[in-house]
Amino acid sequence: MRPGLFLPSTFLTMLPDRSTLLLADDDPTIADSLAPFLERAGFHVLVVSDGVNALEKAQTHHPELIILDVLMPRMDGRETLRRLRKAKIWTPTILLTQVGEASERALALEEGADDYLNKPFDPHELLARIRAVLRRVRPGERSLSAAWLLTAKDLSLDRRARRATLSGKTVELTPKALAVLEYLMTHPDEAVTRERLLEAVWGWEYPAGTRTVDTRMAELRRALDDDPADPHFIETIPGEGYRFIASVHGEG
Amino acid sequence: MLKKSWINLLLIFLPLLAGAAELILINIFAQAVPPFMVTADFGVFAFVFGMTIRNLGIVAFMMGLFITGLLLIFYNRALRRQESTQSLIENAKQDAEQGRRRFLRRLDHEIKNPLTGLRAALVNMQEVQTGVDRQRAVDNASNAVERLTRLLTDLRKLSDLGERPIELWQVDVPDLLQDVVDAAHVLPAYKGREVNLLIPKVPSPFPMITGDRDLLVLAVYNLVENALKFTCETDSVEIRVLEDGRAILIEVADSGVGIPVEDVSKIFEELYRGSNARTTEGSGLGLALVHRIIQLHGGQITVRSSQEDPRGTVFTIHLPVSKKKITLLPSS
Repeated sequence: MRPGLFLPSTFLTMLPDRSTLLLADDDPTIADSLAPFLERAGFHVLVVSDGVNALEKAQTHHPELIILDVLMPRMDGRETLRRLRKAKIWTPTILLTQVGEASERALALEEGADDYLNKPFDPHELLARIRAVLRRVRPGERSLSAAWLLTAKDLSLDRRARRATLSGKTVELTPKALAVLEYLMTHPDEAVTRERLLEAVWGWEYPAGTRTVDTRMAELRRALDDDPADPHFIETIPGEGYRFIASVHGEG
Repeated sequence: MLKKSWINLLLIFLPLLAGAAELILINIFAQAVPPFMVTADFGVFAFVFGMTIRNLGIVAFMMGLFITGLLLIFYNRALRRQESTQSLIENAKQDAEQGRRRFLRRLDHEIKNPLTGLRAALVNMQEVQTGVDRQRAVDNASNAVERLTRLLTDLRKLSDLGERPIELWQVDVPDLLQDVVDAAHVLPAYKGREVNLLIPKVPSPFPMITGDRDLLVLAVYNLVENALKFTCETDSVEIRVLEDGRAILIEVADSGVGIPVEDVSKIFEELYRGSNARTTEGSGLGLALVHRIIQLHGGQITVRSSQEDPRGTVFTIHLPVSKKKITLLPSS
């Protein structure tokens, strides 16, 4: 951690207009600790303890970003997000999943969450996610995370059919590699660390973690015929991770 | 479901009763009974053996007795078989219940310690004056949180393994083992150590197995981590792989202190801590995870260990060789 990075003054200069976050979590110890932390980071935080209130506040207060816990009374996070999207409210949303199950993460994408974080997480990680999402998303616009069909150059990814095609031909990929591609394509132009990919795609840390990611990345690159030295799609950022460099268009 | 009921008993004794009734009827109406009153079978019987109608009554009775006897034997046997399966189910249920209780007891223990440490650290944080003491309290609190997080992560892995289907692709075992050794380099216990990796040159290429590469890496890695944890710098740790055309055999061996005999049969249990693993770091779920992963791959894992010379521990994994010849995963 770089010294001084989390001092409020640094943030106030970085984010001149204090973005409003809506934090929905029914556990008071979590909400009570996270809210001041996020406030110190320079955000204005609204706290609610269930989905119904979250839905209401999202419509009346127009926050820049919503953080939703999955398991909540009255209306769970998932249902809340579904209703938000149905009402064409594209406020970027981070889902806090309770279970690290693969299906749960796939669902988080299905409902159009912009990112997700497994509990228990380090609050700094949440902060990093919030920043990344706010940087990526253009206000009022539907984000790539809510799109079913993603295209970049001659590569297209049908998320519902779990199929990628390159110049119209199906690309043979393992489910994991496909999930990696999906994550990169929904987070274009963003430096994605190997750890982040591990958490998002594998759900839990693997001991041989970074190598695991690299193996899949090699598979992906071979399948996409993408030269690491002169990439069209995936660029390696030495010491950091990967970045999807082609511009991505979302549909449906 | 078979039950001891009056209806069943009645059905069993019905042939006997019928035979007796026929005998009585024939005796009462001896001459008067026209041949068609007895059944066709008995009629043929009587005809073949040249019996009189009166004898026929006795035959009917004997037949009834015989059939009832047979039914009684079958009924009894079926009842007994059912009872034994029931007692088996009952035993399994009891075992499961006992296992669950044991697991909860161990879980309670695993959570209790870091939580106690955390509470003490919080008190220290409030009460201590100097910066150094405060930092120590913060470090202790982070340590406790770290331990709890690791426990939770491993618990989640275990439950995940039971719920989601595993990926089935071709896996190159020597390549996988090399990955494990490379990954183990970052372990603190690896410092100043060497893990010996023995991979045969023939056959080449080495037979593939079908499975989830990441899970298999995790399994072997856990074994290697264990081996490094329970040995000292002068000990050796070795990974070797062999095949016999049908199965691939992976062994992780170390020349460490060995596992006490009474612990050997229990080390794959969830949260079990052997007597020499009480003070060692870890969630207590590592070997349970390995066991589960190997089972999911249709394989087997066994352990042999000795605390006397030649001392050491060898974990042996058997995995079936894949029949398909295609390669879908890159060999990096």
